[in-house]
Amino acid sequence: MAAAVWRANSRFLSRHPWQIFLAILGVALGVAVVVAVGLANTSAIRAFRLASQAIAGSATDQIVGGPAGLTDRLYTRLRVKAGIEASSPIVDGYARAADETLHIVGIDPFAGSASADSLGGVRAGAIRRLLIEPGALLLGSATARRLGLKPGNRMVIRCAGQRHTVTLAGLLPHTGMSAAQDGLAITDISTAQILTGQIGRLSRIDLEVPRGIAGRRMRARIAELLPAGARLMPSQARTGAMIHMTRAFRTNLTAMSLLALIVGMFLIYNTMTFAVLQRRRLIGMLRALGVTRREVFGQVVAEALVLGAIGTVAGIGLGIGLGEILLHLVTRTINNLYFVVSVTRLLVTPVPIMEGASLGVGATVLASIVPALEASGTTPGNAMRRSTIEQRTRSLSPRLALAGGILAVAALALLALPTRNLIVGFAVLFMVAVGMVLIAPIAVSWLSAIAHTMAARAGSMAGSVLGRFALRGITASLSRTGVAIAALMLALATTVGVGIMIQSLRATVRQWLSSTLQADVYVTVPQLDPSGTPPEIDPRVVTAIRQIPGIAAVTGARRATVESSGGLAQIVAVDFAAAQASRFRLVDGNRHKVWSEFDANRAVLVSQSYAYRNRMRVGARLHLLTDRGYRSLPIAGIFLDYGSEQGIILIHRQLYERYFADRGVSSLGLYLRPGVHAAQVIDAVRAAAMHQQMIIAESSRAIRSASLKVFDDAFAITGVLKALAIVIAVVGILSALMALQLERSREFAVLRATGFTQGQVWGILTIQTGFMGICAGILALPAGIVLALLLIHVINRRAFGWSMQTVITPSVLAQALVLALVVALAAGLYPGWRMARTSPADALREE
Amino acid sequence: MRWRHVVMFVLAGSAAVLIVTYGAGKQAVLPASNMAAVLGTGAENGYAHADGPRRFRFPRDFGPHRAFKTEWWYFTGNLDSRHGQRFGYELTLFRFSLTPHAIRSPSPWSTNQAYVAHFAITDPSRKRFHFFEQSARGAIGLAGAQAEPFRVWVYNWSVQAVTGAEWPWKLHAAAKNVDLNLSLAPLTAPVLQGDHGLSRKGPGPGNASYYYSIPRLDTRGTLSLNGRLFSVSGLTWMDREWSTSALAPDEVGWDWFGLQLSDGSDLMFYRLRLKNGATSPFSLGSIVGRHGHVTPLSKAEVRIRVLGHWRSPHGGTYPARWRLSVRREHLILDVTPMLADQELDVGVRYWEGAVNVQGYRNGQPIRGRGYVELTGYASSETRH
Repeated sequence: MAAAVWRANSRFLSRHPWQIFLAILGVALGVAVVVAVGLANTSAIRAFRLASQAIAGSATDQIVGGPAGLTDRLYTRLRVKAGIEASSPIVDGYARAADETLHIVGIDPFAGSASADSLGGVRAGAIRRLLIEPGALLLGSATARRLGLKPGNRMVIRCAGQRHTVTLAGLLPHTGMSAAQDGLAITDISTAQILTGQIGRLSRIDLEVPRGIAGRRMRARIAELLPAGARLMPSQARTGAMIHMTRAFRTNLTAMSLLALIVGMFLIYNTMTFAVLQRRRLIGMLRALGVTRREVFGQVVAEALVLGAIGTVAGIGLGIGLGEILLHLVTRTINNLYFVVSVTRLLVTPVPIMEGASLGVGATVLASIVPALEASGTTPGNAMRRSTIEQRTRSLSPRLALAGGILAVAALALLALPTRNLIVGFAVLFMVAVGMVLIAPIAVSWLSAIAHTMAARAGSMAGSVLGRFALRGITASLSRTGVAIAALMLALATTVGVGIMIQSLRATVRQWLSSTLQADVYVTVPQLDPSGTPPEIDPRVVTAIRQIPGIAAVTGARRATVESSGGLAQIVAVDFAAAQASRFRLVDGNRHKVWSEFDANRAVLVSQSYAYRNRMRVGARLHLLTDRGYRSLPIAGIFLDYGSEQGIILIHRQLYERYFADRGVSSLGLYLRPGVHAAQVIDAVRAAAMHQQMIIAESSRAIRSASLKVFDDAFAITGVLKALAIVIAVVGILSALMALQLERSREFAVLRATGFTQGQVWGILTIQTGFMGICAGILALPAGIVLALLLIHVINRRAFGWSMQTVITPSVLAQALVLALVVALAAGLYPGWRMARTSPADALREE
Repeated sequence: MRWRHVVMFVLAGSAAVLIVTYGAGKQAVLPASNMAAVLGTGAENGYAHADGPRRFRFPRDFGPHRAFKTEWWYFTGNLDSRHGQRFGYELTLFRFSLTPHAIRSPSPWSTNQAYVAHFAITDPSRKRFHFFEQSARGAIGLAGAQAEPFRVWVYNWSVQAVTGAEWPWKLHAAAKNVDLNLSLAPLTAPVLQGDHGLSRKGPGPGNASYYYSIPRLDTRGTLSLNGRLFSVSGLTWMDREWSTSALAPDEVGWDWFGLQLSDGSDLMFYRLRLKNGATSPFSLGSIVGRHGHVTPLSKAEVRIRVLGHWRSPHGGTYPARWRLSVRREHLILDVTPMLADQELDVGVRYWEGAVNVQGYRNGQPIRGRGYVELTGYASSETRH
């Protein structure tokens, strides 16, 4: 019997290849997005982890210092005085070579232990050259090939604002982890000090600490030697901390990808419902012949599983291809905002693929349960009647709406929980989204009722019969149209929600930029590694700039990465007068008191995200690891900042210099006299720095637009994911209309036979699809606004600690409506054309 | 069921052993072998050569001679603990110039001076030989050498004059389970080896080194081994040599003997071996009498018979017992290693070990102790 059931059903499915194809496409696209985002995320993070592991080698611990690093002397003390054998000094930094960012890692080949890992297998002659030729370096063969270099070749690189000629002394040996060598340049420590401008300084000291008592003793011995401000910590701690910084960004992407899968789920639901509907007669006959409910249920689910499996396999292949594109966008954002990672190849790892596969198959089965219950739940006699399911769906829609409402309320209740967990935030978002989807069918029938009355009022109009006719069709076949509309609505609501969120954030950032960037011209040194302390401007250049005529005032700032009680944080030391305090918009703290405390070096300010992240308020104390050990400082005020997710600590220059052995200036703000043009001063600044250092001098307007460019880049990937959700929704609409077309071919044949022209049938179809689009669009607007509010006040707050104003422009809403209409009409073109073209005789003959 | 647990346990155990062995081996050997190859290459022009007589002056010549490519400070000695336990020790510090002239660079890490040091302890009662290697650049105080006040060091291994005084020197080396602290005071004046300190090793001009020894240094101090502290005393032999291109192309290695005899005399002899197995005519030595009188020994005056061999587990066969006879001195000495395996498996593998001496001078029994160094026996073996 089972074989007969299979045969009967497979014959049916093979007669509807389009439906099958679209369903598979839907699953494939959904899975592809999930897999692609997963792979892109893990590739970027794994590449970073591998690279840092490869550099750390077998090191277990490391000594790190404050903003200025460690002194050479500390290493000499460790080796000569304390005899700490398994230690390797490291000087690292980033350099630009052609279009590549190179991670310069300076090691001491004599140190043995950890540094040997990076030199294992390198030819002795090459190591010798590292030692005796300043500027000699080793590259992985892939990196060398990209740069067009062979051993012995020279090239010019830029590092810390200086040009240097370096020589490729040799190649790093091929290892299993070629990804770890990507963009890595190994040099002798002396060369690295010269290139990065850190003469006499070390970035860190890697250690191999044994386990057990010996290790504890060694740590204690090292701790005695450490100057204040230096810290001994596990090797991978910093890597872990840096990867952790990107967590919110990656979670956002994952959530977006899941949304695409949910939209894909509707497609499967749609297809399976259609398949059940179409086969009501077949199912009825099978039931009459003694096939059990369970068998029918199993059959439907099994079919869905097969479709899901095929779609999943295709989706994984598609996802790997898509992942390559997304990887580029993900790494660009990480490089812009977090740290330097060089990934040239997508690492196809099993975990994201398994996740995609299980989500794909799981979602398919989940989506097929309702139609399967539908098919198995009816009595043989009922199953043969077509109207049952429609009726049931219609009677079901209030119940669905109720469930949706309850879900939404439950979601809002979740918000009241005293947690800041981002995952919970996304759960709320998804629950609200699903709740709105469940409400969609009843909303569609209300909308069509309204449209109905409106059409009746305009009764005299020629098209009104057609209109009424068309609208009836939609409510009558709510089981499919409802789902298609809901899918489109969800996709559109996402577009609206994300659009409003981005717009709001962009407007807020824009405003913040113009209030923050008050100087006319800014001078910095190109920085390649956003996580590190920026290179300092050569003091000679600073002096020369101060003498440029036309400048009324010069302010200097130092940006550095420090350890605080809230983890790694950016500290900004400023030397401005309180008059310029208006640059900072306080969200907490007494305006007058804040700046007097700050100027008196009695307190610091922190940015909103720092305060949010560390649950700090004005008056709380902040612990800072300084070059004089831990220091505790009260927080006088909290200010708005969108420049850093981790948050910023604002400190007075004098206080900073008291705590840190660092006199560097990383940026200058130039205030011009009235009537002086920024362009003139910029030219003068460039001339002053010529032959000393490569600096960036830009007007505040240029910086504003450059910052907004980075902002837009960061959201480019969101745009891609949004577009994919829309594509899946279009596939959904297309699939629903194709189903309708098949189902109603007889109905249309009768219309045609009774004298309806091809054009009129087209008209009916166009009105129907247009209405579906408008329905989806109208429903998407409030839904989108709700999603936007959640994104702004829950997701962004939890992810970044930012507050922002909500900006809803009519254009975003109008765009969604137009998009809805266009998408629906476009999806209706082909089915409409086919329906209109069908000859009535052929269609009627099918009976 | 029980046996399965046992099998699992054994499997897991052997896996752990494999991992540990592999891990340890990789760390200990890889950088060292690499650095030996790195330091051992490079052209010889531009450096000073040992090509003529030299006026040795002290303390200047205790210090480094950076114009030469290679240089070493060798300290080997036999020690007795207060409770009669015997130990041998070796601390050798090598200096290499990587380029003839200093490197111009703003970084204090830049240097053409590189140092390698070997440290070994022979513990015959437990049949253990401990050896260690460290290398460092001669920069930022990590390693270096200076004449006044005397100091030569590689990280925490050092030999240095106590502040203000010329003697004694303090010798310190520590690694893992070994910690050696000695005080050295010379019992003899420096002995210029070869032709007034010019030690010819081959026929070519510059195939020579400058070489002097202090054969007897009174030695006392402490040795901590595996957590046990020994008060030790004995005699140290110091060798100092510097050159640019010592060995001739057909010379493959040497057997060096430094023996302190019970009658107060000290014998040094090195046999340079040629590729064809013969002894090079440039082999030579000296005998220093009890009162400091130096008698040079030529190749023809010393006969060496190998009485036994030892096969290294790392490859290569070393001679392991010798009979030295010096007819002119009426001297016959049997030289026996205190331990067969005193091979240093480091960058360049060699054998350097404490030996016992027994024999006759003028028919009278004579005893002694010393050190023997055997190089070039493992060179044909492939390294890790």
